[in-house]
Amino acid sequence: MENTIKVERAILSLTQDDLAKKIGVSRQTINSIEANRYVPSTVLALKLSELFNKPVNDFFKLDDNDLK
Amino acid sequence: MNTKKIMECERNRFQKIINFRLPHKFMTIGIAIAALSIITMFVRAFVMEGDTEWLKELSKKGLLVGMLIMSISKDKQEDEMTLALRSQSYAIGFVIGVVYALVMPYVEFGVSNVVNSGGESYKDLGDFQVLLFMLMIQLMFYHNLKRYR
Repeated sequence: MENTIKVERAILSLTQDDLAKKIGVSRQTINSIEANRYVPSTVLALKLSELFNKPVNDFFKLDDNDLK
Repeated sequence: MNTKKIMECERNRFQKIINFRLPHKFMTIGIAIAALSIITMFVRAFVMEGDTEWLKELSKKGLLVGMLIMSISKDKQEDEMTLALRSQSYAIGFVIGVVYALVMPYVEFGVSNVVNSGGESYKDLGDFQVLLFMLMIQLMFYHNLKRYR
């Protein structure tokens, strides 16, 4: 799974720490999600969607490995 | 109470057990109990004289209890990723613990017989050794997984 959370975060001028506090996780979790090391739960994805005011599909995309 | 309600009740009870964690301050208490137990083991071995077998058993249990408290106490900031890492560390700890319990007696037996001819006879590991190893692996993997997340 690929994501553009870093871009969305930059649009809102948020640091990883700010974003983490807003959705109630640790900064390291945001870092892992941005680096594609961790796939968040649906709840967390929907929290991000609400914060970015965009559908989840806009910033989370399946990659070739997920489609196999 | 109908079947559906009973099942719901059972499910909630399971969830409570699965989600049970001690508050973060218990981590310090766990470390203190484990450290105190280790110190007691050294004092008993090198300083005390006489029949202190009871103290050996007490410090063994103390070490296990301390490490268990460390294992089930929450992090400062607990989120879904730390929960996932914790689950992974328990799985790894369990699997490596079982392999250790199966393989280690043969290793001990083999090494003992290679080093001194006619060495120790084969004997299984004790519960303390296996539990201590499992808890050590779980704690080590959890903290390493957290560090490299």
